[in-house]
Amino acid sequence: MDPLEVYKVEAPGEEFGAAKYREIILDILQDLGLVRSIGRLYVYIDIEKPYFAVYGMLRGSLPPLRVGDVADVVRTQEGYQVKVNEEEHLADMLRVLWEKYGRDKVEQPDRDLLTISSDVSPADLIVTDVDAEFRRDLTDALIRIAPEGFRNRRNEMTENSFLFIASEETITPELIEEVREKIRGMENA
Amino acid sequence: MLEPVMFTGGVYKHDLVIELVEDLGGYLLQKNVTQSEVILLLLVPAEDLRILEDLTKELRGELTRAPLAGTEVAVVTPTLAIHHLPHTACDVAEYLRRNGAKSNMIGLARGVGREIAQINEYETALINEHDAAVFLFGNFARCIIKKEELYKGINIPVVVTGGPEIPKGEMPYAFEYVSSVGRIAHRSKKANEIGNLDRIIAAVGRALDKMRADIEKDPLTTSPPRVMDAVREQVPDIERSYSPLPIALNLTGCRIKLPYEEYHDAIGAVRFDEGVKLKEIARIIPSRMKSYTLVRILPESETGMVF
Repeated sequence: MDPLEVYKVEAPGEEFGAAKYREIILDILQDLGLVRSIGRLYVYIDIEKPYFAVYGMLRGSLPPLRVGDVADVVRTQEGYQVKVNEEEHLADMLRVLWEKYGRDKVEQPDRDLLTISSDVSPADLIVTDVDAEFRRDLTDALIRIAPEGFRNRRNEMTENSFLFIASEETITPELIEEVREKIRGMENA
Repeated sequence: MLEPVMFTGGVYKHDLVIELVEDLGGYLLQKNVTQSEVILLLLVPAEDLRILEDLTKELRGELTRAPLAGTEVAVVTPTLAIHHLPHTACDVAEYLRRNGAKSNMIGLARGVGREIAQINEYETALINEHDAAVFLFGNFARCIIKKEELYKGINIPVVVTGGPEIPKGEMPYAFEYVSSVGRIAHRSKKANEIGNLDRIIAAVGRALDKMRADIEKDPLTTSPPRVMDAVREQVPDIERSYSPLPIALNLTGCRIKLPYEEYHDAIGAVRFDEGVKLKEIARIIPSRMKSYTLVRILPESETGMVF
């Protein structure tokens, strides 16, 4: 069973290729752990022109990760003490804290403990923008998925959808319009 | 008639196998020691195979036929990017190796795309140094047919692999086409995927048999393993080559992994018991691979002798 709500792949005249690309796309999205964030996926491949298009709907965006989400912040006499719970974010957090308070104000007496000599709470500082990271990973996945020879690429990302087109030829406004038309056809089918 | 076989067993007493094979008049092609296990690629006279089988049993080893031993096969992908590697290409190369062939992976510089795919003179010449080539293509029939341009100029038999079924008539320049391989993004592990690898091996085997049959019409002056043995004996520097396989055998000669500039005179001067020098019965030329030396044994029609 597909983990996606709707997943359609069409390649007129190349039924085998369409079925195979279905597998490839799922394999790559699973490898990169992106499957759960994508709701619907439409893929249209025209090998005559040739071009490769993917249109996807995202499952809502994730809020950015703040210091308070990954660590316990406690007020102390000198300032604040931060006890890191999720160590994978430690490097990013340190970078953000250094930027905000300066290196001399941030100390790390223990592996998972930071002290900050300041009166301003770090709890609301953004550690990583998960959504931006997801979009970066998604673009990387799309480039991996598209046939390598299709080097002219266009990637339009909005709040909750993306449209990726790759082609060997120049991507013209007419081509983009044609792709939109095909995708609309698939959505309504 | 020499039979290509692979011996797998413990390191302990494996030199007995090597000694026996040499006594029988066979050849040791390659020796791989991996911790406590050793893999030997051997050419053994077919009528004496029983003796080796008995010794193998005694040593608790395993003896399997390696039909592709003594050949070099090129595995060619459109490029070395993540789209083509590692899955299919590595699986095919590894499977060729398991069947005894020396496989070399070649990624073309500009082999991608349908209209823009191209191959240059250097790449063609490099692939031509092998005994057979496997071209790995993708999942779209029209692209695979169009990409014929890549192997049109290659003289050795080319086995093409791809996804869809394509009638043989559509690809006149391919020796054989193996379908249902194509581009995949995972390792081959299902039974049908392993079956596809077996079909590729079978196709390569047929391609090599055709090459052998062609060579048989005008036999080589001497056999490549014999040249290998003589070079190993008379050019001691070969022991200092860092390659895992310092002399790789081809059907028509061998690739000696020593720099051509420094060693071609020494290799040419290698003398056989019959009193002839190697340079009298073979062409010694620089290889396209690194700075290696290529030996191409001349056929009987050019030298007038066979030994």
